[in-house]
Amino acid sequence: MTSLPVLSLLIVLPLAGALALIALRKQENVAKYLAVGIAVVELFIACWTWSAAGQQPPGALPGFFLFEDFSWIDSLGIRFTLGMDGISLLLVIMTALLTIIAMLVSWRTIRQRTVLHYILLLVMESSIIGVFLALDLFLFYLFWEVMLIPMFFLIGIYGHGRNIYSAIKFFVVTLVGSLLMLLAIIGLYVIHGRQSGLYTFGLSGLLGTSLDPLVGLWLYGAFLLSFAIKFPLVPLHTWLPDAHTDASTAGSIDLAGLLLKTGAYGLIRFGYPLFPEAARTLTPLLTIMAVAGILYSSWIAFAQKDMKRLVAYSSIGHMGFIALGIAAWTPVALSGSVLQMVSHGVTTSALFALVGMLASRANTREISAYGGLWGKVPILACFFMLFAMASAGLPGLNNFVGEFLILTGSYQVAQSATILAFLGLILSLVYTVRLVQEVLFQKERQPLPMLDVTGREALILAVLAIGVFYIGLHPGPLLDVLHLPVALLTGGTP
Amino acid sequence: MMSMADIQIALPLLILAIGALITLICGAIGRKQTTGYLIAVIAAVGAGLWSMQTPPALLAPGLGLSASGLTRLFSAYFCFMAAAVLLFSHSYNRYRDIAGEEYPATILFATFGMVALASATNLLLLFLGLEAMTFGFYILAAIDREQDVSSEAGLKYLLMGALSAAFLAFGIGLLYCVRGSLGISEIMQTTLAATVRDPIALAGWGCLLIGMAFKLSLVPAHLWTPDVYEAAPPPVVAFLSGGSKAAAVLLMVVLLVHVAELGTLRVPLFGLALLSMLVGNMAALRQNRVRRMLAYSSIAQMGYGVVALVSIQGHGLQAAAFYAIGYGIMSLAAFGAIGVLEANGCGAELDDYRGRGFTQPVASGALAISLFALAGIPPTVGFTGKFLIFAAAIRTGENALAILGILTAAVSIYYYLRLVAALYLQRGAAEQTESISINDTVLLALSCVLIILLGIFPAQLLDFLKIQLL
Repeated sequence: MTSLPVLSLLIVLPLAGALALIALRKQENVAKYLAVGIAVVELFIACWTWSAAGQQPPGALPGFFLFEDFSWIDSLGIRFTLGMDGISLLLVIMTALLTIIAMLVSWRTIRQRTVLHYILLLVMESSIIGVFLALDLFLFYLFWEVMLIPMFFLIGIYGHGRNIYSAIKFFVVTLVGSLLMLLAIIGLYVIHGRQSGLYTFGLSGLLGTSLDPLVGLWLYGAFLLSFAIKFPLVPLHTWLPDAHTDASTAGSIDLAGLLLKTGAYGLIRFGYPLFPEAARTLTPLLTIMAVAGILYSSWIAFAQKDMKRLVAYSSIGHMGFIALGIAAWTPVALSGSVLQMVSHGVTTSALFALVGMLASRANTREISAYGGLWGKVPILACFFMLFAMASAGLPGLNNFVGEFLILTGSYQVAQSATILAFLGLILSLVYTVRLVQEVLFQKERQPLPMLDVTGREALILAVLAIGVFYIGLHPGPLLDVLHLPVALLTGGTP
Repeated sequence: MMSMADIQIALPLLILAIGALITLICGAIGRKQTTGYLIAVIAAVGAGLWSMQTPPALLAPGLGLSASGLTRLFSAYFCFMAAAVLLFSHSYNRYRDIAGEEYPATILFATFGMVALASATNLLLLFLGLEAMTFGFYILAAIDREQDVSSEAGLKYLLMGALSAAFLAFGIGLLYCVRGSLGISEIMQTTLAATVRDPIALAGWGCLLIGMAFKLSLVPAHLWTPDVYEAAPPPVVAFLSGGSKAAAVLLMVVLLVHVAELGTLRVPLFGLALLSMLVGNMAALRQNRVRRMLAYSSIAQMGYGVVALVSIQGHGLQAAAFYAIGYGIMSLAAFGAIGVLEANGCGAELDDYRGRGFTQPVASGALAISLFALAGIPPTVGFTGKFLIFAAAIRTGENALAILGILTAAVSIYYYLRLVAALYLQRGAAEQTESISINDTVLLALSCVLIILLGIFPAQLLDFLKIQLL
């Protein structure tokens, strides 16, 4: 790879695009195409970084094949440090892909304040990629909070129903956890500085800080709280269904596909490595919250009448699996968790996109309003079937691989939890089959205006379907790139 | 006998005072509004630019003036703040029919007080500067004579201010009794050390703190704040937040920089910080009038400033000075924007702000950015400032204060977001339009750029403060 600061470029490009869009706010069409163009270029750059995999640049932590480090606020030990390893790579590619999907999904449905919508999506992309790349805790925290602002407006301006309530609830709840994490970050910085005389926020410097067990528990507790709210783990999940219900389709895709992943990523990148002892002590808590999330969300999903709420709850269940894999912290389970993060991004976004398409046709999201779509709109129904089955974990499709790895990996360390999680998997199959049955195969209950997919919609769904099959049938390359970082994190030999 | 160097050091003060007099004279000769503002802006900018120059000496002992880096930084800051406030006032006062050359002249006199305070090396000059500044604000707070609430607020401010001035003067007198000197560094070293158990010194500090609590509007001396913030013209409020309060913070910094630890001052400052954060944020939650809400927010923000003062051993003074400047810029943007919105027919209630985000994009955008900054969301100077404050607190070991501070900050986000939500997420009346003068647009844009730039690149200012406050 060249010496081009490609990671900084990944963060700056969408921001620059957003600025350009401000200038173009009067020409909606130009702005829309420009936004998608930038997002596509971003995706190409993200994929291109894969070619650097395997390198070991000087100064980088082991496993990071791209690394950039610039001086920033030196007097406080804050540096602009970015790094990419296999985990970041997959998540960045997913972010770039889902941003394009979110843009295309809202191509026709957002008619007011159009340009602002694309600006927000680009700012969101930039800040989330920043979260996935930052290796300085101050920088990480900066992106971590910045991403709330575009999301707040995405829910609040383009949502419907009680969108203002949901937007504020989302912002305040997620920020409360974050602020405590900020204190914990500062606490760690001060403790490390006192011990070594070197005040730094860099991850590589802070790793291996020896902490008093109780202090470590408090600091890790603050990190865990912040991440668990983002995840969201039951019982800290209450903001999510509201946010999803009232958000636009693009907002939901960004929320479920991207924003939730930052919680899991934070736990993997910062939580466990910085506080290994405390993390081990609190692992039972994480496991319980994960399993509770899987079972509870499946149960609640079963009772939902609103399709979008159902997808939202199923999404909480999938995030529970990811948490279970992290809690197990074995190489197999952790690879499964990261893979599941990508898979979940693809399937859930597809389901939200489908719900959005249906709702834009029939103007309702009530499951009981639909029926008989299999005969009426065969292509749409086919996609619906595919993504629903993928979400339920059908072998050969993407979610199966991640869930299988998570269950296998965590069975070694937490048998009863794994068995319960497996039960949750069955429950999720039940409500998914019910959804498919009611929407696709039930006799038509009322005449709804239904047209089959347009070209744009087919493109969105086809791209995501390729993702589903690719991860489901040929996960090898993804697992290869995850192998080294996961092995390093779990302390095994690479 | 004044030497050339003395004159150079005192020149910003001279420019401001002479500028104010010329403004008054011009007002008496020609009745053209703009002339007075123009002269005042030129004087303020001139004084600010002069302050930024390297002085011939760091001290003018004969005058009791200092020209240290900190002095010059804050002098320049006060002067530019005054210039910005004058420019904002020009269009707002036309809308409110606040005529007369006394307005720009008073702003200059208040600035004179601030610069005098920033340059003082003894307590007497410090007191004179502080009172010259506050005297200006007595007039400015009540200048909107058409409004009944205005004179009420002005009277409240005057009465409580006079009381606090008495406390300050008495406190300074008592401290003088202890040592027989008014030099700041001597007084600080002999009256604050942990070993000092002199009741007169304690009483002196008590009186001084009461006076300062009023200037900073800390709970329980905050009662004037909501009224003044509601009744005074928004540019004056911006000047009060960004000028007067920054000056008071600076005063505390200038005093405390001479001691290594707080000694007896820790407990009362701890209490003031805690109460201000709690009461300010909780009371702001219940307000439906925007300016009252921001008044309580300002009480809470000053509480964070005091957290920094308490955290003196963890570089808290740098954090306090940084935060004072940052808060000033945020207030300038917020109240500048509110002034523009009100001139465009926006009422005082939260509901009046609905939907203005899209009909009045410039002012609303500036207001939203400053609200996010006040809420401490990155990448703004508000975030960096709070970050520095909490880092200083934890380094000093004030963990309880840091945790309570961050929890109240979390609460505060709700009321800031309510206003942002009103601006952007709710629908308002259709006929809102924006008419905004060019200088208002430029100033709002400039302060927003500063809010974000200082948030992302604070290193230069921080390093400067670090050298000054070693």
